[in-house]
This record gives sequence, structure tokens and C-alpha cells, in this order.
Amino acid sequence: MTRATKPMSLTVNDRQVGPVAVPEGLMMQDFLHEYLNLTGARMGCGQGICHACTVVVEEEDGTLAEMRTCIVGAHWFEGRRVRTIEGIAERDTDGAVTDLSPVQQAFIEHFSFQCGYCTPGFVIGATVLLDRLQREPVSREDLEEVITEALDKHICRCTGYIRYLEAVRDVALKTPGLVTS
Amino acid sequence: MKKRFVVFYTAGVVLIFMFAAAVAVFFGAFQSSVVGSEVEEPLLPDERKALAERGAYVATAADCYACHTAPGGAPWAGGLPIETPFGIIYATNISPDKEHGIGEWTRAEFHRAMRDGVGKHGAPLYPAMPYVSYRKMTPEDVDAVYAYLMSREPMPVADKTNELTFPFNMRRLLRFWNLLNLPGDTFQARDDRSEQWNRGHYVVDALGHCGECHTPRNVMMGMKESAYLQGAVLEGMEAPDVTREGLLRMGFDAPSLAHFMQRGVSAQGGMTGDMFEVVHFSTQYMRQEDLDAMAAYLFDVDDIAAAEEPPPQPEPVEVSAEIAASARGTYLNLCSGCHGASGEGIPHVAVPMTTNITLRLEDPRNFLQTVLHGIPELDFPGVERMQPMPDFADKLDDQELADLATWMRARWGGQGSDVSPSDVENLRREAHD
Repeated sequence: MTRATKPMSLTVNDRQVGPVAVPEGLMMQDFLHEYLNLTGARMGCGQGICHACTVVVEEEDGTLAEMRTCIVGAHWFEGRRVRTIEGIAERDTDGAVTDLSPVQQAFIEHFSFQCGYCTPGFVIGATVLLDRLQREPVSREDLEEVITEALDKHICRCTGYIRYLEAVRDVALKTPGLVTS
Repeated sequence: MKKRFVVFYTAGVVLIFMFAAAVAVFFGAFQSSVVGSEVEEPLLPDERKALAERGAYVATAADCYACHTAPGGAPWAGGLPIETPFGIIYATNISPDKEHGIGEWTRAEFHRAMRDGVGKHGAPLYPAMPYVSYRKMTPEDVDAVYAYLMSREPMPVADKTNELTFPFNMRRLLRFWNLLNLPGDTFQARDDRSEQWNRGHYVVDALGHCGECHTPRNVMMGMKESAYLQGAVLEGMEAPDVTREGLLRMGFDAPSLAHFMQRGVSAQGGMTGDMFEVVHFSTQYMRQEDLDAMAAYLFDVDDIAAAEEPPPQPEPVEVSAEIAASARGTYLNLCSGCHGASGEGIPHVAVPMTTNITLRLEDPRNFLQTVLHGIPELDFPGVERMQPMPDFADKLDDQELADLATWMRARWGGQGSDVSPSDVENLRREAHD
């Protein structure tokens, strides 16, 4: 199969990208790393298992979805709005981080990560989960299970799972409207 | 006047006779047993001990464990729900527990359950228990399984009550079913075929009970012998045609089939769903000579070494430019990351598409179901593992998936018929029924 290029346009972290000629079948992760210099989405397994490479897709209805970039072609994102780990924190006009997102802040406070390789994926996964909880709040007793289920597919080789879980639980409990009493 | 009387009289007699016959069947008067009287004699403890080890192998080849142990349940204690069009039947406890299992069953009662489909107290078993197939087992093999099961740990786990609708909850009605669907004969070796072929026939029909899934069922849910092993749809998936023609179509030769049954994964793809369980619990443990015999029989050759070569890769079929453009984009975006841009796959990670069985089947059902619902992580025999395949039900609309199916089936499976969006829609609806 010849790898012809095809023009593509998308929005990444609120910035319009393209049209840019991108080889068909190039994986999204390679596009982010090589074309946009956004290297935060990590290459882990390259097989769609570890979820270190995920990004947020902002759907047209305003909801957020998580997508793996190591096994999904760049052209699948044509016309879509994507948020990578680099676009999660608040930044000033110079691009310097001014405010971490609540999830990022909680991960630091809970010492959730050690080597940090899986952290971008966990931030993305937790961000998408909290977005869902805003629309579909869960009861307090179900909260741990819901977090576990949502983040279960993310692999952490330092086994920091419990601290990730505690951090996300903290954010969910502190944010009004996510957990019903 | 007289003539009328005769007609009435005759009709009355016929009706009474039919009613009497029905009552007789209902109460078991016409049950045909293939169990000989020699098994009335109990096995001596020493005999049981000597038989148990062989029984472990026979029970494995007959795949008893897969149904009689629920996931996460106690071994041999039953409890697996088996969904039928008439309700749920629960597999029973066949550990030697005296209260809940078969601890009090005699050798003869066990033989009658296995080969006549009759329980300890004479009530018919539901044919979810494949006694129609096990009927062909030799008395020696049944003895061995009995000896093996009796050597297991008793599990005090009560059987679950079946959830069947009326009239299917009346076990005695199965006597009518048996009358029509339970063959009177037992396994007969054929003198004009080799030992290997005959052994394969026995492994396929009696132990492996392959026909229970691969032979379509008639209106009475009995195995339709005229379409023996020609494939059937079960729980939304096709158990493919495993006759010689069907196997050749899928790209097998006899040795590669034997290998596939043992390893569960090969160039032809990976076993999934119910067939994964068959490999997981049963065929991976079969002896090489039994795997070879099974393959020789299915390919209808006397010697596996003499089996013909597999057919060449089917020629790609042209599809319209519109379908190709849509499907190629989908494939490169959502499939190629694992299955390769040219369908070559990644060894030990994702199976190749170029030689995949599913693309060569006439019915696109299995392909569509797999793409819609994905495949869970699978732990194949040995050290092979397969990562989960994602589900794409909410990533692809009916048209995109239909185009993908048409294109992949044409390109690698040599299938010329277009898959339509309504095919996809129907399968999506089936999943919700």
C-alpha cells in the first residue's frame, strides 16, 4: 500500500492546525510528536494497551472522549477538536503555565506518580471521567468503583494506582455536582 | 347410517390409540437405551482408581469442565447459565457430592445420563447436555469419566433452578423430542477407513461433540443430519462450515487445522468466543494423535500426511472506487495501527488480515460482530497472549462499517458480494434483542 499524503486540518489545544500534508496511515501520535512538537502523549506499548498516549477529543456536543493516538491514524482526527496533555493547564499569552487543572494539582498533592511516564494518560483519562460525572453524577458509594472502571485501562509500571485513585476521588468530592449524597 | 358409524368408530379408536401412545411416550415407554446391562455391576475401587487417569483425558476431550464449572465457581459444581430460545438452563453439579452432585449415582445411572439423556431418577435431561453426541461414546470411555469424576473433591453446591417457560419446563416432553432426535444406533467404526479416520470420527462426533454447534438445527432444535457440520449461527455468531469444503474455503489444510485446534491462534486468525473456550479447556490438551485424527477425519482422508494442500490465497475482487476510498481511509485510521497497513498484522500482537478466516466466510456476520463489539484480551495456550481489540460500534456508522467490510472481504477474502448498511443495522439491532 503506497503512503500518499493527504491534506488535513484540525484544532489542537484551541489552535487551528493545517491544512498540512500528512501521510495516510500515519498514527496520530507520530503526527503530534513530529509535526506539532507536542511530545506529551507518550509512546508506551504502541499497541493500544497502556493508554499513555491518549488525548481528549472535544465532541461537537461539548462532551469529552478519550482516544488512543498510537493506534489511531492522524486523519481520523480530521476536522475534530483535540486537547493534548499540553493543553490541559491554563497558560498565559506567552505559553507559560499559570494554573494547573484540578486533576493535575491533585496528582501532585497526592504524590500520585513516580517516574511520570503514564501520568499524561492518567490526566487525560481523569479529565474525561470528571467531564462525564458533571453530566452523570454518581453516588458516593459507587465513586471508587466508577473511578477504577474508568481508569482501569491505564497502566502504571510504578504501580501508583491507589494514589491516582485517591487524587481523582478527592477532586470528584471537592467539585460540586459530581457526587450525589 | 351404518357407514357413518364406522367412520366415527374408526376415528375414535385411532384417537384413543394416539392418546395412549402419547401417554406411553410421555411416561417413557418408548425410551430407547444404548446402555448395556453389564454396567449394572458397580466398578470396584481398584478398577475406578485404574480408570481415573484415563478418564481425566476423556473428560477433557469431551470438554465437560467448560459447562460444568461456572466462571469463578467451584470445580465441577455446575452453575453455568446456558441460554436457549426457551429460557435459561443451568449446568448441574457433577462433583461427587452426595447431596448436590453425583455422589450417589451408580455406574449404570451415569451411563444412562451420558448416553440416553436420562437423570438418576429417570427424568429426561435437557439436550443442552450433549447426550445426543455422547451417546456415541464407548462404554469404556464413559466408565473412565465416571471413575475420574468420582475421584474429584465433592463440592457442596446446590444446583440452580432452570428458568424455562411453559411447556419447556416439562421434562417429560423431551421423550417426544428424543423419539425424533436421538439416534438409535451407537458409534460404528468403518472397516473401509483407516484407524486414524475412525478415531477422528469418534473424537469429532462423540467426544468433541462438534456437531452440537457446527451442525445446523432443525425446527425441533435437533441436529440436522443432512447438513452435518455445515455451519450454524449461535448467539449471533456463525460457527463455520467445518466440512472439507468449508475448511478449504477458510484456507486450512489438515496439519494447519490440527495446529490451530492446539494453539488457538495461527495465520488463519485467533479463536474467539465459544471456540476460544473449547481450545482453552479442551483441544489444547488433546494428544497430537487425536488432533491429527480429528483433522484427517474432517478432511476425509485416511492419513493426515496425505491431505491435500490448502487452496491458494483467493484473488482480490474489485470494489467500486467510492467504497474503496471510504474503506481504505477507515482501515488506515482505525485498523492499520495493529493489523498493519497491508494487513500483515504484528506477530504475537494482532493477527494478520491477509489470511484471516473471517474475511473468507460467505456471511459477513462474524466480521461485523467483531468490529462492532471487539474481542476481550485472550490468553492462548503456551505463551501467546492477545491484547483486547477495541469495539467500534460508536466510532463507525452503518455505511462506513459496511464499506469497510465489503472492501476487506474483497481484498483479502476474495468475497465479491457487497455488505449493505442494513446488514450492519440488523446486527446492531440483534445485539439489543
